[in-house]
Amino acid sequence: MANISLSEAEKTFILHGVEEDFRCDGRSRRDYRPMELETDLVSNASGSARLRLANTDVLVGIKTEIDKPNYLTPDQGKIEFFVDCSANAAPEFEGRGGEELALELADTLTNAYESPKAFDLKTLCILPGQQCWKLFVDILILECGGNLFDAVSLAAKAALFNTKIPRVTAALMDAGEAELLISDDPYDCTRIQIENLPILVTVCKIGDSCVVDPSAEEEECSIASAVVGVSKRNGKNYISNVHTIGEGSLHKDTMHNCILLGLSAAENLNNELVKALKLEESRVGSKHRNTIGFLK
Amino acid sequence: MTTNVNIRLAIDRVNMGLLAQNQTRAPRLYTPGEVVTGQFGFMKGHGTYVEGEDIKASVAGVMEQVNKLISIKPLKSRYVGEIGDVVVARITEVQQRRWKVDTNSRLDSVLLLSSVNLPGGELRRRGVEDEQMMRKYLQEGDLISAEVQNIFDEGTLSLYTRSLKYGKLSQGVLVKVFPSLVKRRKTHFHNLTCGASIILGNNGFIWISPTVNNEADGGDGGYAQNLNEVIPRADREVIARLRNCILALAHCKMMLYDTSILYAYEESMKYEVHELLQQEAIFDVAFLTQHRLRLQEE
Amino acid sequence: MSNFELLSEQGLRLDGRRPHELRCIKCKLGVFEQPDGSAYLEQGNTKVLAAVYGPHQAQSNKLDLNEVVINCQYSMATFSTAERKNRPRGDRKSQEITLYLRQALRAAIKTELYPRSQIDVYVEVLQADGANYAVALNAATLALVDAGICLKEYVVACTASLSKNNIPLTDVSHVEEMSGGPTLTVASLPTSNKIAFMEMSQRFHLDNLPAVMEQALNGCREIQAIMEKEVRKHLMQMGSAGDWSNIAK
Repeated sequence: MANISLSEAEKTFILHGVEEDFRCDGRSRRDYRPMELETDLVSNASGSARLRLANTDVLVGIKTEIDKPNYLTPDQGKIEFFVDCSANAAPEFEGRGGEELALELADTLTNAYESPKAFDLKTLCILPGQQCWKLFVDILILECGGNLFDAVSLAAKAALFNTKIPRVTAALMDAGEAELLISDDPYDCTRIQIENLPILVTVCKIGDSCVVDPSAEEEECSIASAVVGVSKRNGKNYISNVHTIGEGSLHKDTMHNCILLGLSAAENLNNELVKALKLEESRVGSKHRNTIGFLK
Repeated sequence: MTTNVNIRLAIDRVNMGLLAQNQTRAPRLYTPGEVVTGQFGFMKGHGTYVEGEDIKASVAGVMEQVNKLISIKPLKSRYVGEIGDVVVARITEVQQRRWKVDTNSRLDSVLLLSSVNLPGGELRRRGVEDEQMMRKYLQEGDLISAEVQNIFDEGTLSLYTRSLKYGKLSQGVLVKVFPSLVKRRKTHFHNLTCGASIILGNNGFIWISPTVNNEADGGDGGYAQNLNEVIPRADREVIARLRNCILALAHCKMMLYDTSILYAYEESMKYEVHELLQQEAIFDVAFLTQHRLRLQEE
Repeated sequence: MSNFELLSEQGLRLDGRRPHELRCIKCKLGVFEQPDGSAYLEQGNTKVLAAVYGPHQAQSNKLDLNEVVINCQYSMATFSTAERKNRPRGDRKSQEITLYLRQALRAAIKTELYPRSQIDVYVEVLQADGANYAVALNAATLALVDAGICLKEYVVACTASLSKNNIPLTDVSHVEEMSGGPTLTVASLPTSNKIAFMEMSQRFHLDNLPAVMEQALNGCREIQAIMEKEVRKHLMQMGSAGDWSNIAK
């Protein structure tokens, strides 16, 4: 990630702060930094969202395409995650510099969305064995201020909430090939159920304690973190995946604690996200509007 | 204990531009390519160039005139060092007989082995052992406070720490802002009454630490770092609050100096420290600070 | 030539503009905190973010003892185009644009002031709807101004095309680009009337070149005026918040 070097003394200060449950910016170990959210700001994507978490800035655009289902799963659609770390965020990302991190982010999201209980690919099926929707979740990282995994997953979920899949009004069979009629009305579309969609919570081990939403400096002090994917179902939180990052290792008890912390943090995080999305929709309506984006 | 999460909507973004409503004192602004004055009788300084008979601006900013020297100062840029400036800087490389240092300048700065006080004696010769020990004194990542001693021809800054007030920094927090936000004052070291010390580096690096007791710290040449010392909670709260206040002022493009920081600190007391990360609180603190600064000036 | 008419009988273009009209331009400086300079610029539906890092010490293998090294990267978000792009950069078109951006910026930056240093200019296209190079360059210029880097003057780019009945059109949109008409891209230093970069595709008669070029250069001047206004507004906001107390009185 962004090249930050810290002196031993700075690290010590951060570490003691975490132990004291009073971090450098005054947060407790369980607090997130303030976020800002906007959806529907990329006009040539089917859905989009921008999430800013302190200095971390993520823009997600979702494209829909019609594809053929896989032979083994004829009744399922497809979803593909792609992450690009823009050089705007850090000069080290220039060229292929951000590729490793981008792949790790995309893979972790893919794993989190893998379970049919987290995201049901059957909803993307149009004609079993013939045609299905393929969603490209394209994630662009514009600025890095720590905690990319959480930010990326929240932005992806928000963009999926915003995604409008055109309604298929009829299908004609022509010599074994399906031909679809798609509604011309841009407002005649289906939406994705986002209640179960997973989010990622990075639990970062600093010293002997764990924190959520690490800043870039805090990440520098940590040798190991666990990214916990959490998906909600019937009001209960389930783990959809766990991914460890960093060069160090976690004791199995610590890992257990990390997962518990991740699960409990995800509860609030998810509620707030859904609340914000619904609030935005009720205030601006689903029709075309002026975006704030990078202006103002 | 629950997790605090706060997601606001972009449509509710606080417009920090409201702090800039009073534009009565605005000087004449220049932008790149604009003619500043005719060439005759004037000399071109930083941020200007001569074309034909005119001196033109090459940056967007305001004019500064010293006798016949005309320069245009951008409101934001990398640090342009001047001899005597106080800087906070980070060691990036240990080389032969010198350290490479990041001061947020156009080029890497240097700290020569001959420009530091070595432990154990002020004015002794620097031998081979000292060269081998360099990493023991200062290693990659370490922060120092220093003064700009010299500027080499190509623009590299040469620093020195041969004074007891300079040297390696121990526990604390570094905040980075644009260099032009740090106001030039007689002193850049402050022991604030609220219970912490700050060093306002001219290069935009600001160091906040527990109050330094100068007398007790004198003898070791400034290399000792007590990493076992745990900063008490009360000091931590002051430091964190100062950090958030400085960032709030910087976010609103307000100037940073002892008075503005102290006012912001006082105005922030109605908020919890972590609440100062939120836009409304940032705006509120900046607004009240601006108001007090204006009253004080009148 | 074009098999599609770019101008209606009423003399309006596909998106309702008159021939000499630019698309709506909105911009802002200083959109990010980490880079030394940044800017956002949208021209119609083409939306671009630019970030500038530097001037900073050049890597020793690139270092130039006499002038600054300018390093550019043009990249397009995979969702920026109507048809999804497979990768954001590295394709031929992006590399070409990267090169041309560097060429035009070199003409404006006072390179001799920063020996041994490097300036990184990164441009990210969020939405592409024609004149991508021009919008990218304009955003990069604003980001350089924001970073306080010395420029001779703004370097501004604009495109122009020619309708079937030889009427020049300013600021070509994607549909107009695709309909097969010629596209002329000019990057200019408007005050001194210099051309820093020019590229033309398709063909038209030499007699029409002056008119098309003048149209593009006119566009540059208009865009410069808009950028200039935004720069002044930005300076005013930055200085007024601190009551200009950083200025020696």
